[in-house]
Amino acid sequence: MAIMVSVPAGITANQEATQSITANFNSTLSNMQAEINETTTLIQVQTSSGRNFEFGRPPSTSPDMSSGPPSFGSEGESYMNETVVNEISSIGGVKDVVEFLEAPSKETISETISTPFGRTFNISRAVYTITGVSLNSSLIDNYSVLPTNITKGESLQEGDSGVVILTSNLTDYFGVGLGDKVEIYGKYFEVKGIYEPSGSDSTGARALYMNITDTQTITDNAGNVSRLDLYAENASMVNDIADVIKVAYSDLTVTTYQDRLSNLETLQQRYKDNLSSAQSTLSQTQATATQEIIIAVVATSLIVLFMMLYTVRERTKEIGTFKAIGFSNLNVMTQFLLEGVLLSLMAGVVGIAIGYIAAPTLSSILLPNVFSSSSSSGGFQPTGSSLFGVTTSTATLTPELMLLAFGAAILLGALGSLYPAWRAAKIKPAEAMRYE
Amino acid sequence: MSELTQKIEEPTPKTSEPVLKIEKLIKNYSMGKRNVSALNGIDLKVNKGDFIAIMGPSGSGKTTLLNVLGCLDTPTSGMMALNGKDVAKLPEKKLYSIRRNELGFIFQTFNLFPYLNARENVELPMESTKKSKEERRKRAKELLEMVGLSGREEHRPHRLSAGEQQRVAIARALANDPAIVLADEPTGNLDTKNKHEIVRLLGRLNLDQGTTIIMVTHDSQVASHAERILFLSDGKITEEKRGLHLVKKKLMCPHCGSRIQPSDERCPSCKKKL
Repeated sequence: MAIMVSVPAGITANQEATQSITANFNSTLSNMQAEINETTTLIQVQTSSGRNFEFGRPPSTSPDMSSGPPSFGSEGESYMNETVVNEISSIGGVKDVVEFLEAPSKETISETISTPFGRTFNISRAVYTITGVSLNSSLIDNYSVLPTNITKGESLQEGDSGVVILTSNLTDYFGVGLGDKVEIYGKYFEVKGIYEPSGSDSTGARALYMNITDTQTITDNAGNVSRLDLYAENASMVNDIADVIKVAYSDLTVTTYQDRLSNLETLQQRYKDNLSSAQSTLSQTQATATQEIIIAVVATSLIVLFMMLYTVRERTKEIGTFKAIGFSNLNVMTQFLLEGVLLSLMAGVVGIAIGYIAAPTLSSILLPNVFSSSSSSGGFQPTGSSLFGVTTSTATLTPELMLLAFGAAILLGALGSLYPAWRAAKIKPAEAMRYE
Repeated sequence: MSELTQKIEEPTPKTSEPVLKIEKLIKNYSMGKRNVSALNGIDLKVNKGDFIAIMGPSGSGKTTLLNVLGCLDTPTSGMMALNGKDVAKLPEKKLYSIRRNELGFIFQTFNLFPYLNARENVELPMESTKKSKEERRKRAKELLEMVGLSGREEHRPHRLSAGEQQRVAIARALANDPAIVLADEPTGNLDTKNKHEIVRLLGRLNLDQGTTIIMVTHDSQVASHAERILFLSDGKITEEKRGLHLVKKKLMCPHCGSRIQPSDERCPSCKKKL
């Protein structure tokens, strides 16, 4: 009976696991597809000076948009003016353009850096970065423009002006909270939202986002932008567009993410492979569990059958006495049927108790460890993914399952004792009385 | 045996219809390929209030006869009328109610249900009758009192002595006021003291309640308590003798039939010398 209860628990758990794995994989896959669609059509155009950092730090080759603050060196800022922006935007195949104006904060901090040769340098750098973004709702909604992990308040929306969203460490620097005003370039902005910088590379980075027109106003840069995120109509046009820009504006840095495409596609394929292997493992387990439950049901019925046959044999004389004092065949049969059902029910209670205690352990044995099997074959291990939750999913005894087990106990008890009870009813009283 | 029994000179004429009437009763068993004739033409009339002992060597058909009389077994041929109703050819599904309402059984091994107490054992045959729970309980208490077990109603069989267990079994046999009580070696598992107590109890029930008793025994001392003793041999009644009915002798005036005490010198009713 304990097996009888825990096996369906295992099956249910497997079904749940299959569903959750499939759901997880599917959402990851669709996220990935969106990322592929977005990044592979992205062309980033930046003014060259935007990537120059103090003290000979090499220009970052990282494609990550959230890398450290760009420097606006003393040699003079260079921006793309409206004419350039319009020209670039009108290149054939460009679907959308997101304009950015990045500016360093007015506040600076000084640092003294010592070289191994005994020379020291005093450098001063901006405390935080200001990023102005064109707040066009169709762009904000479709592309990664603004930080997504807002922890307090709201993100920026189309039409916002005079408001900022900023990193949580910057609120400490300003000593402000949500709804408070901060002074930037002599103007006051209200804090609309607070976000956590994402990714390990932006730890400690202080940044704030505002409407690009606000940035242009406070930095006296009307119509100028420092970065353009172009989105091509499709991935195949990206290289052509990049080439056109490179030829026309040699002083601009053009970055594409075509190389990421193959990586992402490989990743996607691995995810798909993992999913199908997980599904097949689970369906195998499920098939095994179904076989097990059939065996368990047959075995249980047989056990009840033989137990009750033995009981009837043992109690032949008692049955004879029952008949002698005037019990009908039906009385006798009913009594033995009830006895079988009652015994099965009691066993069912014990079985459910055992199942309740043992199901988590049993299911962890029964359920396949999806990721150990896929990683052992050199597969990709998704990091930080909720997919890991799957391996810990346990079989729990739901009330429905308990009812099912009780029903099964009654049914099997009745089924198994039907023949013995019939045998008992058919015993001839005279023969039963002779039986010792 | 001869001093305990005496041959019947003339059968007492009875006007009323016998409670049990058997004619040319035959019962054959097939033991594998062999056909065994257990009862070989039995003719018997049992009147109401009879106390009959059936004696005979083993294999003479005593138990078979008792089983057939008790409707536990059906005869191969012949007639058997219980209270004027032919039961010889009734199927098993109709026999159980006859066993319940017309017959009471007492066994050598008592056959009490160990998981029920004395009262519940007595109540069991009344289970499927029309009696209410209270009536059944009352009746069981009365019966247990009658067999001398008052105060022990709630005891389970294993807490009772063998003699007490047989008393419970007797009370159970009487539960539905049967026409005939059938006892198969009722003293077979008892020591001498209990044997006499049980057979005296049966005699008193026969005398006081008018219970018709048919008892199988191979013990001539026990048999001598009965009024009629039938000798069975090879499936036939070979001889019938008159028993002593010791209880009757002690407790009934031989002249007028009224109740006397063993210490009485003269019958309190007819004043004749005992």
